[in-house]
Amino acid sequence: MILKTFIKEIKELSRESRVRLSLLIVLLLLGVAVFISSRQYQQVNTQYETATQSERANWDNQGEKNPHSAAHYGTYAFKPKYPLSLLDQGVDKYTGTSVFLEAHARNEARFSAAADQTGLARFGDLTPDFILLFLIPLLIILLGYNSFTKEREMGTLTLLKSQGISGWRWMLGKWMALFVPIFLIAFLLFLIAGFVLSGLQDFGAFSWKALFAMFAVYIVFYAVFINIVLIISASVKKSGISLVSALGIWILACLVVPKMATNIAQAKYPYPTAQEFAANILADKEKGLDGHNPWSEESKKLEKEMLEKYEVDSISQLPFNFDGYRMQKGEEHEAMVYFKHYNYLKEQYAKQTEVYQSMAAISPFLPARFLSMSIAHTDYETHWNFNDAAEQYRINTQKFLNDHFAENSKFGDWSWQADADFWKKLPAFKYEPSNLKQTLSQNNGNIVLLGGWLVLSFGILLFVVKIK
Amino acid sequence: MLKYNFKYELKQLLRNRWIQLLSVLLLLLFGFATYNGLQKIEEREKVITAAKEETLRNDESMVMLLDSLDRGMEISVSPWRYPNNPMVVGNYYPRLAAMPSHNFTFIATGQSDMYSHYKKPAVSRSGFMEDYTEMTSPIQLLFGSFDLAFVIVYLLPLLIIAFSYDILSAEKESGSLRLLAAQPIRIENWVLQKLGLRFFWLSVLVILAMLVIFFIFGLNPFVSIKLLLGLIGITIVYMLFWFAVAFLVNVWVGSSARNAVSLLGFWIFFVLLIPSVLNQLGSSLYPMPSRALMINQIRTLQADATKRQDEILDNYLRDHPEYAINDSTQQRTFWHSYFASENLVRQELAPVLENYDLQLEKQQEWISYFKWISPAIITQESITKMAGTSTSDYGNFRKQVEGFSETWRNHFVPYLYNNRNFTKADVVKLPQFEYMALRPKFLSAFTILGIAVIFLALGLFIAIKNRNHLVLSNA
Repeated sequence: MILKTFIKEIKELSRESRVRLSLLIVLLLLGVAVFISSRQYQQVNTQYETATQSERANWDNQGEKNPHSAAHYGTYAFKPKYPLSLLDQGVDKYTGTSVFLEAHARNEARFSAAADQTGLARFGDLTPDFILLFLIPLLIILLGYNSFTKEREMGTLTLLKSQGISGWRWMLGKWMALFVPIFLIAFLLFLIAGFVLSGLQDFGAFSWKALFAMFAVYIVFYAVFINIVLIISASVKKSGISLVSALGIWILACLVVPKMATNIAQAKYPYPTAQEFAANILADKEKGLDGHNPWSEESKKLEKEMLEKYEVDSISQLPFNFDGYRMQKGEEHEAMVYFKHYNYLKEQYAKQTEVYQSMAAISPFLPARFLSMSIAHTDYETHWNFNDAAEQYRINTQKFLNDHFAENSKFGDWSWQADADFWKKLPAFKYEPSNLKQTLSQNNGNIVLLGGWLVLSFGILLFVVKIK
Repeated sequence: MLKYNFKYELKQLLRNRWIQLLSVLLLLLFGFATYNGLQKIEEREKVITAAKEETLRNDESMVMLLDSLDRGMEISVSPWRYPNNPMVVGNYYPRLAAMPSHNFTFIATGQSDMYSHYKKPAVSRSGFMEDYTEMTSPIQLLFGSFDLAFVIVYLLPLLIIAFSYDILSAEKESGSLRLLAAQPIRIENWVLQKLGLRFFWLSVLVILAMLVIFFIFGLNPFVSIKLLLGLIGITIVYMLFWFAVAFLVNVWVGSSARNAVSLLGFWIFFVLLIPSVLNQLGSSLYPMPSRALMINQIRTLQADATKRQDEILDNYLRDHPEYAINDSTQQRTFWHSYFASENLVRQELAPVLENYDLQLEKQQEWISYFKWISPAIITQESITKMAGTSTSDYGNFRKQVEGFSETWRNHFVPYLYNNRNFTKADVVKLPQFEYMALRPKFLSAFTILGIAVIFLALGLFIAIKNRNHLVLSNA
């Protein structure tokens, strides 16, 4: 009976012009979106390669220079795009892509794509994630809003009663009729994306496993939506009302709740403004050792410690250049200050995340959104990790330069210059995003929430559908 | 007949509790949106005030230090922070360049969550690399914020759709349309009147709800009467557009469910698809040059300038003989060469940086050619412009700050090259920043009006052509 219901429903759907038309539109849009995204992906990564190489060449060919001058000259870390961003652009548009790594200061990633676009960019982009997250749920509504109501309206419910079909079988048949077409569309899209990605040159971190995980997230999300649409269809009397209520839920879940969550998160756990943040850091920095200031109290203290430790009377007798040593100590103090302030930001962010997760109780869109971004490495977490890695690299670079200065020059000799070849010894910056396992374990909350939605909605659906 | 319709419609709307439901909904939506908007404004003003106070405090201490230095007293700051050095004033005692909000800024978040509202330009920080973006969680930027513009542009059309998708079809489906057909009114007139009345009531409710909410939050919207009228005007015209679409669909499509689906299709098309497609096309046609490659370019120039520092300084002084004449000390510090090479890098980079502004302008232009396709874009744009939070407002602020930054730098250049000390008397001569806001234009409402009229005309045409079919066919 499940199969018969399924076949009947599929036949009915395929005969409706609205279904054919909307399917066609969705597929067309998907094609365009994948094409645009893959072009953009290639373009960005080519630029990334060029920029990274040319920046490294700048660094390597500095010529003879004092290491600390080189530290001020600095270098850049660039953020690449990851393969699955083809499917989900996440917050990539809103995060900076290049970090300036210099002495004494941790800089924010700069130049987000959104800042280089018109205000229209805030409406959203025609990307696969827009279609996957917004339009396919709409398609589900369109296919399923009258699934149960039509039986009543056409009078076929009376016939059904005499068939002796049980409620859950009937429901499952209808459920399958919605699920299978949606599953096929998604499957097709992910398959194409997989082949496009593995066909691209140097596709780097692409893995079919991650692609599959992402696919699974969407399938669960769609199953939840199918359940919701069917629950509504089974509990109201008229198709029109069913449609309007389902649309209401869609608007609430996909548009209104995320925005509400944003406002609540920002109001409850605000970020400081860039200027305040910088001012706070400056204030803390001034409390400690400044590598450039040999006359400060902190500096004198350090001097005394060193003299006692090495049992000499003047700093010029130390076995290393005290200038370089002080520079490094100052750097370490500054790194601590940055660590503290960025940790505060991270705490705010963690609290904001909690707000989003609590709002997920009224919107299955949120956990699906966050999971998909995480797997695609286009989420905020990846941006944080990239920045942290860049900061770690900056700290290591400073140590590398200061140590070289301290070990090879004499105290007070600021005109000392390192060899032209020295710069090449600095290891290159590398950043690997977390692997799938780590990503998923970081997203336990979202997985549980989405799973909860699935179980709960199935339960309610089973409870609601009755033949009467 | 209009009188009967009016009476009957009002009774029906009240009995169906539509008016009550809509009032509550509108009050809730407007209320939450206004609350959010005001909260953002409060935060923004708080931050600017704090920055202002800090500048004042700094200035006071600068005057005190200068006073002590004048009288030859010992002061407690490090020698390289003595404010009698003009470079110290230029770097550590900057002016505040702020972009304050106004009475109606709360209506749209616009780009305000992305950009900073104040800057303190210093002489040494290179203006061309200045970052104008704000530290915001990108998730927030992605989801956007629940503001009045969102309610008007996204949600009001949906309310209209829910309110009007089955005007004709419900009568048909319940069988009362045949009764109506016996009345002395043409079907298209009847649908038009019915929709017109709903439009009228919804407009009344929207205006009242807006005013009530504004008063509840202690705003006096009549202070900026022009903006209030502009906001109401664009909202009403935008609503009219959606009612026109509803009219077209009602006389064209058929059953209630189909109507709802078609109206929703229009909504997705106008509100979601066109904006994103236009944006995508704009940025593909006029792509921004790579920022990463720009960094490379700047770095190469800077590295080159650093190597040729002495030569550049000599050239600079040759071009500015007035400094050599006035300066008796001929003292040269780090700053002398810094300014000269910075100047050179700035000149060479100007065309590169201009390119970004140019591309953005072209994108904007492209959008302004085609934005009439979607009234949602026009409405969103006008509301953000009224709020002063549009891209062009922040571009305007950036330009003004860049201009001021240059004024500020140039103010200190003569001090530097003449090797003159900064004194207490010079404090009052420091340039000040004053933000000049763009004036919003209210003409865009007419474009939407035009589109609405086209839809209405199209609807009428179809209705007249299918007059008999509309009444007699089964749903």
